[in-house]
Amino acid sequence: MTLLSLQGICKTFRQGEIEVEALKDIDLDVDEGEFAALVGPSGSGKTTLLNIIGGLDAPTSGTAHLNGIDITRLKESQLSDFRLFQLGFIFQAYNLVPVLSALENVELIMILQGRPAKERRARAQHYLELVGLGREMNRRPSALSGGQQQRVAVARALACEPRLVLADEPTANLDSENASALLDIMHKLSREQKTTFIFSTHDPRVMERAERLIKLRDGRIESDAVVEQADRAVPA
Amino acid sequence: MKARRSHLPFVVLLLLAWRNLWRHRRRTIITLSSIAFGFGLAVLFIGLNDGAHNSMVRNAIKLGEGSITVQPRGYLQAPANHKFLPAGASLLAQIDSLGIPGHVDPRISIQVLASTAHNAVGAGLEGLISSRDQRVEMLKPFLIAGEWVTAGDARGILIGDSMARKLKVKIGSKVVLMAGGRGGDSQQHLGRVRGIFDSRVDDLDSFLILSDIALTQRFLEGEGADPTLQPVTRLAVYLDQQKQLQQWKNTLRREVGAADIEVLDWREMMPQLVQFITVDDAGNYIFLSLILVLVVFGIVNTVLMSVLERTREFGLLRALGLGRHQLLLLVFCESLVLSVLAVLLGWVVGGGTHLWFAVNGLDLSAAIGDATAMAGTFMDPVVHTELSPARVAQLTGIVFGATLATGIYPALKAARVTPVAALRT
Repeated sequence: MTLLSLQGICKTFRQGEIEVEALKDIDLDVDEGEFAALVGPSGSGKTTLLNIIGGLDAPTSGTAHLNGIDITRLKESQLSDFRLFQLGFIFQAYNLVPVLSALENVELIMILQGRPAKERRARAQHYLELVGLGREMNRRPSALSGGQQQRVAVARALACEPRLVLADEPTANLDSENASALLDIMHKLSREQKTTFIFSTHDPRVMERAERLIKLRDGRIESDAVVEQADRAVPA
Repeated sequence: MKARRSHLPFVVLLLLAWRNLWRHRRRTIITLSSIAFGFGLAVLFIGLNDGAHNSMVRNAIKLGEGSITVQPRGYLQAPANHKFLPAGASLLAQIDSLGIPGHVDPRISIQVLASTAHNAVGAGLEGLISSRDQRVEMLKPFLIAGEWVTAGDARGILIGDSMARKLKVKIGSKVVLMAGGRGGDSQQHLGRVRGIFDSRVDDLDSFLILSDIALTQRFLEGEGADPTLQPVTRLAVYLDQQKQLQQWKNTLRREVGAADIEVLDWREMMPQLVQFITVDDAGNYIFLSLILVLVVFGIVNTVLMSVLERTREFGLLRALGLGRHQLLLLVFCESLVLSVLAVLLGWVVGGGTHLWFAVNGLDLSAAIGDATAMAGTFMDPVVHTELSPARVAQLTGIVFGATLATGIYPALKAARVTPVAALRT
């Protein structure tokens, strides 16, 4: 079942006197439960596309439907609520609120969602344990490594039951070991919870784990292919 | 999911604000200290000012005509020896029957020309009951020669040292007191100097002559008054509690006010003193405004710096679903917490300083010397700070309101953050 449908998405920026076409007539459908990677060189339009899907930026033309909602027609306050209830975000860096502990960071979104205290505390603890941070949940971000911070961001993104998780180069600042561990966790949770993931990357390690590779170049989709998963072992 | 709108409880806002405030502990402490110091200084300054003014008012009431004065209508505008209350005794009894907490002093004022063989000066002769009048209590400590007049002494007078020098008199000297009467007649009585005082208020020392009421009553008899009715120029009402002033003034106006009798409070009797305090207060408010400006800039600096360095964090929060108005509230809440802390700390510093000076007083005699007289009264050289509940509320309200208002601009700036632009920083 199609979760996300993009039709004719174009995005033009003005850089001084020059108009830059960041995205050119993008058509894309993503089904529920997909673990898809947007790949391509720097400047190919990955982050811009993710921002449009996430309602953080508006396209110059085209429509973007998520779960039947046309994101491009939402007002700013509606977009905030849309992001809150429909999406999970994992950014490249500086993902967490520094004055909150790992547990509070995960809880924050659920507080905004208006979930009862008991439920959100239990869910936050559960997801932090799932990402292997059961013992670090009361630490603040400054006391966590980069890999641990990204895992908290994964727990936060998933604990609030989003329809779609958007991750913008989530492993860019991590070493190989931490990057692999993070990807394993994301993949595992995606499988277990049937949560749809779209992430941008130019990291080969991430591409290896993607089930679908959408390759962008110069603002266009150059290729879109489902990757054969038969030989890949999903870590338990 | 039942709730589909973003929801940020106030407790969470406060928690975030509190923690954000202590993110830069040293900066916050410096800001709080400067606000508290400024606020403390303002409290001390206002307390001293109010203390000095209240001291002047209390002295003015004692030296003057009481908290409330009952006198012939029109006397204030045009004093004259023939204007008096002919039935003083019955009026006093009527006022006594009201049960006013305090006491009432009958007085007679006569404008005289005091003359000796050497000189003559215009003077105000004030006859009072020398055994109980408030002025006795007030001026007796300032007696520098001779003794106080005794009850029923129909000759004895007390004069200020300035007048004594002008008239070249000493204790026991004779002074002729001549008063003009209705129709151009004049009458005169002989007074004998029993004592000389130095009140440090030039207006008093060079103009006031005190005597027992018996001497002044003789002048009123000359104006046709019946001595059996114990005529007086006025009845000075002294209240134990100044806050009851308006209540008793209204009562007196209702009970004894008449076409020929008016009831005035000290503000109406001494407009020049009220004006002096008003002008002095205006100067102090300018000083306070300057302190307030410093306080406001301190807070703006802290909150604005905190906002500017967190642009990316605000972008993250907005991306995660925090609404624009919620972000505005979050930053505004930081100003709120800072304001509350500043006012609390300010009151600890300012209140503590006030309490110390309220008990021990600040001795200004070295700084101001004998120059304590002003606007017809004088200020005690040791000033005890005073702060009324209204003043406490006013100072708290001004500083709290100003500090809170300073949070508006940083909050608006934070709310204008767009997620995409902020996350790029």
